Amino acid sequence: MAEIRRDEQKLWLILFQIRGVRVRLNSLALQHWIFSTMAFMTGGAALIFGAALMLGPLAFLSATAVIVLFGLAGIIRETRAALRQRVNPLKAAAIADDRGALKGRLTTVLTLAQTPRLSPLWSYLVEDTYSLRNDFEPARIEPRWVSRSIFALLGACLAAALLIPFARMHRAPGVQAGGSGEAGQIVADIGNLEVRPADPALEPNAEVYADPETLRKLEDKLAGAQNQDNDKSELGRWMNKARNLAGGLQNQLTGEKAANHPPVRLKLTDRNPGTDKGGTPSRAQSGKGRDETGKPLANSQGGGGNSSSAHSSQPPVASIPGQQADQLAQNQGTSPQAPGSDTAQPGQGDLQNLFDGGSGGGGSSHGSGSDPRNLFGQASSQPLGSDNFKITIEAEPSDESSTPGAPTYVPPKVRVPLNSNQYPDEPLARAAVPAADQMTIKRVFER
Amino acid sequence: MSEAEAISATEQPSIADFARTFRRIQAEIHKVIIGHEQAVEELLSALFAGGHVLIEGVPGTGKTTLVKTLGLALNLSFNRIQFTVDLMPADITGTRVIMSSIEGRREFSFQPGPVFCHILLGDEINRATPKTQSALLEAMAELQVTVGGVTYPLTPPYFVMATLNPIEMEGTYPLPEAQLDRFLFKVRLSYPGEDEMVRIIGSTTGPEEAGVQPVFAADEASAQIETLKHLVREVMVAPPLQQYAARMVRATQPENSRILGDLHAPVHVDAVNRYVSFGSSPRGAQALIMGGKIRALLDGRANLSYDDLEQVAPAALEHRIMLNYAAHSDGVDAARVVEQVLKAVRQTRT
Repeated sequence: MAEIRRDEQKLWLILFQIRGVRVRLNSLALQHWIFSTMAFMTGGAALIFGAALMLGPLAFLSATAVIVLFGLAGIIRETRAALRQRVNPLKAAAIADDRGALKGRLTTVLTLAQTPRLSPLWSYLVEDTYSLRNDFEPARIEPRWVSRSIFALLGACLAAALLIPFARMHRAPGVQAGGSGEAGQIVADIGNLEVRPADPALEPNAEVYADPETLRKLEDKLAGAQNQDNDKSELGRWMNKARNLAGGLQNQLTGEKAANHPPVRLKLTDRNPGTDKGGTPSRAQSGKGRDETGKPLANSQGGGGNSSSAHSSQPPVASIPGQQADQLAQNQGTSPQAPGSDTAQPGQGDLQNLFDGGSGGGGSSHGSGSDPRNLFGQASSQPLGSDNFKITIEAEPSDESSTPGAPTYVPPKVRVPLNSNQYPDEPLARAAVPAADQMTIKRVFER
Repeated sequence: MSEAEAISATEQPSIADFARTFRRIQAEIHKVIIGHEQAVEELLSALFAGGHVLIEGVPGTGKTTLVKTLGLALNLSFNRIQFTVDLMPADITGTRVIMSSIEGRREFSFQPGPVFCHILLGDEINRATPKTQSALLEAMAELQVTVGGVTYPLTPPYFVMATLNPIEMEGTYPLPEAQLDRFLFKVRLSYPGEDEMVRIIGSTTGPEEAGVQPVFAADEASAQIETLKHLVREVMVAPPLQQYAARMVRATQPENSRILGDLHAPVHVDAVNRYVSFGSSPRGAQALIMGGKIRALLDGRANLSYDDLEQVAPAALEHRIMLNYAAHSDGVDAARVVEQVLKAVRQTRT
């Protein structure tokens, strides 16, 4: 009887040790799953963040999709591997048999322990197996406490730590433009300027300014591009939505708001004045200028009195000498609008606005026939050069094309040299007219 | 050898007793047989597993000597049948003959054939006709012989060893599959190496012949061997190992076999599907388990292991695999097929 009890105690110890082996193996399988899954998630997040910093919206969206797919596949694979690594008592005994060179003793003990009719050799087997208990201690069967997958996790963390600063240093130009502290200024010839609908994913942060005629042509070009955009297929709209989504994601990931970016200032010039490539009627002149999203162009030529209010806090962007202003006035006079018309045509200025520092003395106010009563006003802090037009468009230098396969557009750096008779634009300060001179000036205008 | 050292037939022998007795029989045989250690071990394994052995070897490799030596070492009755093409079944099993009694009455009396013994050597069994070869079937499988409607039991232990000469195929009759399947193991005897040859020359051409001492006493040999055979059956086999043996046997069966039908082998082995027409029968699995148990006991274990099964697999399975013409044309033998089977099945260990 005592011998039977001793056998049972030994059997219990053997089974307990098998259970210890199983616990350790399952612990490692669980660790493997946790570490590898975290490694995939960390690495994937780092890659997505890097892509948000370094790539344009569509490339970012594609890269994110690929990374997410690979990450999910990897996680599923590791989950299945962990499930395969999970062991039941029988498998734990088999593994211990194999690693401890026990030649099937543990498997036999485990499977036959509950058998009602035991062999006469059962006691021998239990005793034999018990004598080898040091060979199947959990620590000997599986010395590791921590899964090797932790190295994968550490590697992913290290890669993330290296990748994110690297990505910050090598940001994509389109993304970088908004992030720089200084506002850039680009002078572009309108003839070389490729105009296309703005990427909806990008926040409007570019300001374009030019003389009225150039702006009119620019608006014609914009209208043409808008028409082309309207003709786009369903695929194009989906592409725009994708860009929008990707841009939003990028902004969320990078924590940057394009609205906070200083605008890129693009000064447009026209090398071939008088030629109108667009051929479409200028919506700016009709006062119905709208941007591509349907909103009225804030500082369009026909904007009337509010041309400077939207950007009153901005520093003056340019001014034109009086002679040039006269030339502009002549150009304006050749427009289809009837000179001297008193009808409230948008864009038709009022003589009062000539000296009025209030709202919007635009270039169109230089038309003849204005009321001399409006000639004089108080000197104001209106930004210099407000007689030019400033238009904000939703565009930003980008190395991407809205149309797949279209050539990459790089804004030209055009700076036309001045000839000997030309002088660079200088801001002309608006000043109060002395009372003694006011009558003289008024007479000149009345004449 | 001292008979006092032999184990008692009345008490349960231990694993150590079994291993010791086994090694002693081996040692006695090797007094005469030089080399062939594996063949001798397989021969004795088949004896203690309760099976029979088919010995294949070229002439002059000691097949007959081996069997005779075994009979002497075990101290059991031993008969030899030289199979020839004109041998009849009655020459093996015995026949009823008319005998005259002292009173002058004539009556049929059964005259036992050479099959009635403990150890039977069927020399060059493939030289007899299939009908004569089949006369051994009942004796080997059921330890009995039926003659003239009367069944005569054989005395255990009963051990048949048949020899085959693989190179003299002229005038031979290949053993039918049913006959082959009844042999537990097929043992191959090859030519000895140079060193072994020198030892053979020395031991057989001198003035003294090596004497074999019987391990068992004549009157206790049968009982003691039966006791040891019973011990072999007590070796424990875990269910996963039984499954492993079954999987190994199933893997020898080609998937397109008519025998297998819609059943698919759990392990796909290219060599089997290409070269095997019929795989092993369930007797193959029995042979694996019994042979493995012998190896476990010799290793001092009371349980079977995967290694035990794999070590006995060639001897247990090779002669049960029927190769097709593609195998013969490609020079593939059963040993190579079994090797591939083992390689494939090893991947499925629990």
